[in-house]
Amino acid sequence: MRLSTAETRLRRRKWLDRAFYRLMLASAVIVALILLLILLTILRKSLPALKLSMITRTPGAGYYLGHEGGILNALVGSLEITLGATLLAFILTLPAIIFLNTYLKKKSTLSETIRLALDILWGIPSIVFGAFGFLLMLTFHLRASLLAGMITLALVELPILSRALDETIRLVPAELKEATYSMGANRWQTATRVVLRQVFPGLVTAVLIALGRGLGDAASVLFTAGYTDRLTTSLLQPVATLPLAIFFQLNSPFPEVQQRAYASAAILTLLILAISLAARFLSRKLGRHRIK
Amino acid sequence: MKKEKLAAGISGLTAFFPVFLTVAIFLAIVLKAWPLISLKSLPRLIFSSAWQPQKGQFGLWPFILGTLWVTAVAFVLALPISLLTSLYLAEYAPNRVRKIILPAIDLLAGLPSVIYGMWGILMVVPMVNHYLAPLFGASSSGYCLLTAGIVLAVMILPTIINISVEVLSSVPASLKEAALSLGATRLEVVRQVVLKKARPGLLAACVLGLARAFGETMAVLMVVGNVPDVPRSLFSPAYPIPALLANNYGEMLSIPGYESALNLAVLILLLMVIIFSLLARLYLSRLVRRSN
Amino acid sequence: MPLAFIGYTQKSRTETVKSFPKVRSNFRRKKIVGFNCSAFLVLVFLFSLTLTWPVAEVSALTRRENSSSTQQPLQLKGQLSISGAWAIYPLAARWVEEFQKIYPGVKIDLQAGGAGKGMADVLSGLVDIALVSRKVYPEEISRGALPVAVARDAVVATLNQKNPFLGLIQKKGLSRTSLREVWIEGRIKFWEELVGQRGQTPIHLYTRSDACGAAETWAAFLGAHQEDLKGIAIYGDPGLVEAVRRDPLGLGFNNLNFAFNPRTDQPHTGLVIGPLDLNEDGQLSAEENFYLTREKVKQAIASGLYPSPPARDLYLVITKPLRNQLTAPFLRWCLEEGQSLVEETGYVRLSWDVLKKEKMKIGSASPEIQKTAKTK
Repeated sequence: MRLSTAETRLRRRKWLDRAFYRLMLASAVIVALILLLILLTILRKSLPALKLSMITRTPGAGYYLGHEGGILNALVGSLEITLGATLLAFILTLPAIIFLNTYLKKKSTLSETIRLALDILWGIPSIVFGAFGFLLMLTFHLRASLLAGMITLALVELPILSRALDETIRLVPAELKEATYSMGANRWQTATRVVLRQVFPGLVTAVLIALGRGLGDAASVLFTAGYTDRLTTSLLQPVATLPLAIFFQLNSPFPEVQQRAYASAAILTLLILAISLAARFLSRKLGRHRIK
Repeated sequence: MKKEKLAAGISGLTAFFPVFLTVAIFLAIVLKAWPLISLKSLPRLIFSSAWQPQKGQFGLWPFILGTLWVTAVAFVLALPISLLTSLYLAEYAPNRVRKIILPAIDLLAGLPSVIYGMWGILMVVPMVNHYLAPLFGASSSGYCLLTAGIVLAVMILPTIINISVEVLSSVPASLKEAALSLGATRLEVVRQVVLKKARPGLLAACVLGLARAFGETMAVLMVVGNVPDVPRSLFSPAYPIPALLANNYGEMLSIPGYESALNLAVLILLLMVIIFSLLARLYLSRLVRRSN
Repeated sequence: MPLAFIGYTQKSRTETVKSFPKVRSNFRRKKIVGFNCSAFLVLVFLFSLTLTWPVAEVSALTRRENSSSTQQPLQLKGQLSISGAWAIYPLAARWVEEFQKIYPGVKIDLQAGGAGKGMADVLSGLVDIALVSRKVYPEEISRGALPVAVARDAVVATLNQKNPFLGLIQKKGLSRTSLREVWIEGRIKFWEELVGQRGQTPIHLYTRSDACGAAETWAAFLGAHQEDLKGIAIYGDPGLVEAVRRDPLGLGFNNLNFAFNPRTDQPHTGLVIGPLDLNEDGQLSAEENFYLTREKVKQAIASGLYPSPPARDLYLVITKPLRNQLTAPFLRWCLEEGQSLVEETGYVRLSWDVLKKEKMKIGSASPEIQKTAKTK
């Protein structure tokens, strides 16, 4: 029995549907596989050097020549510089985004300019920020230090944090704000007491995203933060960072030290994984009491 | 009330900071690039292929083309996979799968550049060298445009996927249900309804991914071959501008005119990014106007 | 941003708070959450303050140090920062290790990043000493750079062990003129041309992408500059080693200490040093064949048999006037007691007269310390 044209058409549509579904599934699988490949490659190369001493000890004398030690200096240094930079960026961006969303009309030229500037900053590679930070250091006679690195990294995180915060704060339904206005609150009270509480989980996620990006950025700290084999305790001392630690170990002539570079990379990956999981977990947990 | 005005004033100032920063960065770059621009004709600097800094020749054409080519290859490779994957995640994937894959994509997004570079050298370079190049009848060392494009594509995948998934998820369910009720297959719902509604957001995701691709430095520089010649094929080496900056930053002060040339290259890079974002915004606004 | 620009992600549904009876406890919970948040922020702020507290201490300490003009040796105290070439890094690391053992009051920060970066850092006052593995340019000298030679090493050519022409190359050697035609002029593109045979097996040529001493020195050997070197440019010395190790038809160059495995004193597995035909007679004589172990190559460098360039002096570069009290003592130590560590780290010692001359250079920069005080 021959199929009617309607039936052939239906069959073809169904076939297309299934074929594309398989294609989409395949591409999702490809993405997952690529991630797995990257992680496995790093793990395989780093296995001989993955020891607890890597994260509990600072580099001993001659560490880059193959002797004992670990990357505690870089681990602590990275946390110091990134926490400081994220805090700095947060202090600068949160009021700015609140202002942008509360006080400015949606299509005003000022808000458009600010958003354009943020877009441009987003597209600037971090090495340019590093160069700019270097310039600032020369102008203010700062040496390579934790402070200089923090400032530069804060500049790098600024557009990331702004974008994430902006997206979150925009999601607040207009009705909520109108309700508070109708009760007599002014714009500032609305912003701080209502909107911020509403988007609090989004804020936490945004900060964690920026933190994760800041941890992995090498280009901006290369010229500004210096490097040291010790734990940094002062803002004016140079500080070791994980990406630079990986970089230096990778470029050492000793194969054992190169292995440690991969181990450091694995540690950095674990740190970033922990942060991104924390971000997702926190956003779910803190978002339970929001108005949806 | 006074407190509120003060707070509003301060946050207004911080809102202005991104604009101030952008202007400052541009000013610094232009000032540093000016000596060379005033010395040589701009068209000759941009369109010449002769790059011999010691002899005072600073033709930037190979770098401009290198940047454009690497970004284009990365984009062409990343777009279909990210689109298909985000469609899968937004429309088809069961919740369990989504809960696993989305954090995985976050992890990919957070991995630092150095790690991608390491992976590129370990896996992608041999793959292109031994398998892909002979397949197309070309001989390549593996350090080429294609390798850089692949590594860069993997780097911008998470950016595009994250935003696309969000955009696709926010297509109102009512529209999709209406289409389904009319007898459309899921694929047809996706093609005729979801994609059309989500096109502005997807375009935004692409622009962000492109901006990231333009500025990516470390990973690309480790695998791209770094030869200052206009790339002749996918298997020939290239030399994008961020790589130029990262490779030669240290030598800037040592060769006269080098600093200006590098700053001019950065300026051109930034202008490329800005032009892209502006064009995208124009197109977006036209799309939105049409859909409204 | 464009997302929000199109007002796109605005969720249009507004469901009211789920259940009213929870209002009171929500209120209290919000108060507690608010309190916790502000407490957390205060803690973070205090933490960042404690990071700055030692600053006052350290700056007072260094000010006291810099003001006194003479110091007893074992009481040397302070901080020194060094940055520069990978090529000298192993030696510098060894020196830093020893120096800090002898003078525990001294803290030295060592960072590699390339000769160019080191030079830029020292010229802009960010570090005290730069490690530079190439000749210092006149432009840099005019900006105040003062190079002090501390050791010697060389750049060597590298080949793959599985190179089909390896046997012939090891018999004939590679002459400077033919290497120049490979790397600079690009006239020689096939291996057969190097050994005098017929055929067209392509040479896979490699060089360095980062502005570095090794490439500049190798180019100087071939009569040009780094920018004139042809070939795929790889980032970093180990990167180049890796590239040639993986490519049977590869040809590259490396710093001496990166081409050899520091543990075994032999070239890295898979790598062979390209022998240089020094007298260009088309044959590698017994005297010209010294590439099996690093020790033999070092002897050739020391005796002058290996040409210079690509053998070269390694410099610690400082700027006049010296700003840090510790720079001169450290440099002097490197040129005196430190020299005993040069051989064991894989470098070649400079001759006694050269060392004396370099020490005088330090002396010429030191008298200005008294005048420097706190000027920039």
